[in-house]
Amino acid sequence: MRIRRSHPNHPGTGRRSLLCLGGGLLLAAAWPVRALVAASGPVVLTVGGRVRMPNQGDAAHFDMTMLAALPQTSFSTRTPWYAQPRRFTGPLLRDVLVAAGAQGDVIRLTALNDYRVDMPYQDAQRHDVIVARLLDDKPMAVRDKGPLFVIYPFDSRPELRGAVYYSRSAWQLRKIDVL
Amino acid sequence: MATAEDRRALARHPQDRLRYSWLALTGFVLVLVLLAVALVQARQATLLRQVVQAGDDYVVLMVYQAETEQLRLRDQWQRAADDRVPLDADTLRLRYEIWVSRIELLRSADLQHLLSNPDGDQRTLQQAMDFIQRADLALGRIPEVPLDRGFVSALLPQLESLTAPMHELSLGASHKVSEQLEARGIAVRQQNRLGLGLTAFLSVLTLAFAFIALRQVAQLRERRLVLEELATKLRLAQREAEAASDAKSAFLANMSHEIRTPFHGLMGMLSLLRETGLTPRQVDYLRTATESADHLLALLNDILDMSQLESGRVTLAVAPVDLRALLRDVEALMRPQANAKPLALHIDAAPGVPERLLADATRVKQILFNLLSNAIKFTDHGAVVLDVRTREGEDGQACIEFTVTDTGVGMDEATQEQLFNRFVQGDSTRSRRHGGTGLGLEISRNLARLMGGDVSVRSRPGEGSCFTFHMHLQVPPPTVSEPAAPLPAVLPTSRPLQVLVAEDHPVNRQYMAALLENLGHQAHFTGNGQEAVEALCRRRYDVVLMDLHMPVLDGVGATRAIRALPDAARSTVPIVALTADAFAETRDRCLVAGMNDFLTKPVSVQKLAASLRRLFGSGTATPNDTPLPPEPSPAWAGSHPVVDESAVAMALQAMSRERLAAMVKAFLDQAPETVQRLRAAVRDAQPLDLRTNAHAAKGAALNLGMSALAATAEALHEGAAHLPAHEIARLVQRYEDLVPATRQAMSALDVLRAEPQPAVTE
Repeated sequence: MRIRRSHPNHPGTGRRSLLCLGGGLLLAAAWPVRALVAASGPVVLTVGGRVRMPNQGDAAHFDMTMLAALPQTSFSTRTPWYAQPRRFTGPLLRDVLVAAGAQGDVIRLTALNDYRVDMPYQDAQRHDVIVARLLDDKPMAVRDKGPLFVIYPFDSRPELRGAVYYSRSAWQLRKIDVL
Repeated sequence: MATAEDRRALARHPQDRLRYSWLALTGFVLVLVLLAVALVQARQATLLRQVVQAGDDYVVLMVYQAETEQLRLRDQWQRAADDRVPLDADTLRLRYEIWVSRIELLRSADLQHLLSNPDGDQRTLQQAMDFIQRADLALGRIPEVPLDRGFVSALLPQLESLTAPMHELSLGASHKVSEQLEARGIAVRQQNRLGLGLTAFLSVLTLAFAFIALRQVAQLRERRLVLEELATKLRLAQREAEAASDAKSAFLANMSHEIRTPFHGLMGMLSLLRETGLTPRQVDYLRTATESADHLLALLNDILDMSQLESGRVTLAVAPVDLRALLRDVEALMRPQANAKPLALHIDAAPGVPERLLADATRVKQILFNLLSNAIKFTDHGAVVLDVRTREGEDGQACIEFTVTDTGVGMDEATQEQLFNRFVQGDSTRSRRHGGTGLGLEISRNLARLMGGDVSVRSRPGEGSCFTFHMHLQVPPPTVSEPAAPLPAVLPTSRPLQVLVAEDHPVNRQYMAALLENLGHQAHFTGNGQEAVEALCRRRYDVVLMDLHMPVLDGVGATRAIRALPDAARSTVPIVALTADAFAETRDRCLVAGMNDFLTKPVSVQKLAASLRRLFGSGTATPNDTPLPPEPSPAWAGSHPVVDESAVAMALQAMSRERLAAMVKAFLDQAPETVQRLRAAVRDAQPLDLRTNAHAAKGAALNLGMSALAATAEALHEGAAHLPAHEIARLVQRYEDLVPATRQAMSALDVLRAEPQPAVTE
């Protein structure tokens, strides 16, 4: 499986240079470095819980544009839900969490149909889990398990091909709580 | 003992086969069981994989969620159809979308094997699809009709009618999965049970295998112990057998020795009997008796040789040998035998054969005598040929090869195979005709092998035989006059000694007297062993020089008698043997009899001085105060057949020229007398007399350097017992013929210059 990453506006680079510039000024708050802009379109994902960069109350709200602005990762993988390998594209889950300044032990995923599942915070660090927003380069409708689909790179490691990881791959994702 | 073991070992064979087939069977079953276990485990793995892959319970969850979403959509739909609340299009759309996604999942998931009632369930899904088709008109991606309360109300009954079938679907899947889980559980249990059974069986088999292996090891150990025991027994038995064989050989050697002494007495008596005025008939009987005695003596000599070879007591006295002289000696001894028959005897040495070689001349001659006399014995006409040549041996070393070819009766292969075994002769009728001990060839072969060679035979019946004797060829380094090698101090003893010399030959007496005088000692003489014992009883002597061959009582007998004397001072007097034969056996015999040292003739002043020094220690100065020149190289150094110049030189070291001349003259003057005595012994068929006289002559001749006379006397001494009378007569003639030649040679060496030349033909 090939994982391809693209950086539409290199936000990481910018963030790092800013860190260098403002290192002395922001001694007390080395993190976060950039405030999350408010969502301008319809909110598709809410990150709640231990979030240090909320943009709406206690939570960080994302619209599709904000997610598309994060570095994108693409890969094709076999899944239990489709007969053929499909190609998924979206930001890494850990980038989304960084953007929201979210850090904790457990990530609780909630879907539109109130399906709920917990994954260890480390999963987002250890594996290239993405919040897929494109299926075969096309946006996903709700009836196509969209608009957001948490996908593990199942084909990269054999141990990912199990019921536990399948159950953590929540589709119709609407909310992430970091506990 | 061994055979019993063998029988038991043989009896074990069928048992072994049975055990091996059991072992093979067990192994086979073991392999089968292992295969079965592998199969069961593979099936279990497959089952497990099915569980993981299909995720049947997961599918049940999907069906269940689809039903839930169906109910939530129905509620939302009913609310939308209610006039009393405003129409929430977004929520309705979301609920609808989620439900559609669930239905899509059910359609796409591989549910066929979970459907309890495939037809009914397909119908339910079709019903749902029909609803979706109608609802999508307003709720789809591209709405065709507006979403209003009328549309919602119109579709509500169709949505509600889906509730019951969806529930059925959920229940059916749940039941079906339960059944499948149950079935799978049963299968797994069965597999487990089967696996357990196989494992138990495997354990039993492994135990059986281990048991058999242990038993096998135990039996092997047992058998090894038995074998070790057997080996120990065999070793012991072998040692006993060897000891017995050694004892037999020693016994044989001793016996033949012991027999020879009285036998000589017997022969002496026979010869005395002849002088008592017998009738012709009695003379005839006596001749037969003498012939038998001769034969018996030859037999005894052979047996003695053989037993000594067997007990390894024979050591080779290897020395440089003049091959031509050796062949001449052989020819001299063999020609008379050949001439007795109409037989030609050719002795021929190839051009490449070296003049001199290192060998034990006596033993080489013994082998050649044996081969040639056999050939002459079994050939009635034609020729007997001895060829000598050199060749490369099998091991790459140079070999000298003596081939004796005859035109005699020949042998078949069976006879040839038997030939070298003791007491076997060509065939029994021939042995009766030709006589002999049957030990000759075995002795020859053993001697040849001792020399690093062998004796072999090629023959065909009626076509003669060809015996080949080969040995390692060793050529002595060319003799260069050695630059005065420092001699181990050849110094006389510190004080003049009183020396008793027991020696029967007058010339030898003179010679010894001269030697002892030269060393500053006092010599006293007795004529035989008996006299020596008596002389020793009368007065004290410091040392006795004892000739071995003497009349009345020989040297060994006299030594035994002296050692048995009651007076300790007399019985411990040092005794030194003097003898003309240098065999290790003779030496051993002397030392065993109680002699202290052993000197071979010719006795040089160095040898004598060294021996006395060993016994009495050395002094500080020699009487004449002149260092003695080194002992000249012994007899083989000069190839002159008549006089050995080196021996003469050696004698001249011990005495003045005049004295030696007197001795030589005395010896040569006595020669006609000696010849007469020899002739008388031949005429009277008295081999003992012949031997005694010949031996005495040989010793004196050796001491005085008259090598040709010594060699002839030796041939007479050796051949006395077994050579035919006419040949002995020839040897005596030869001895007589050599006397003037020797006299001439001595004159030529200036030994006899003081003498007026006597008539050459004496």
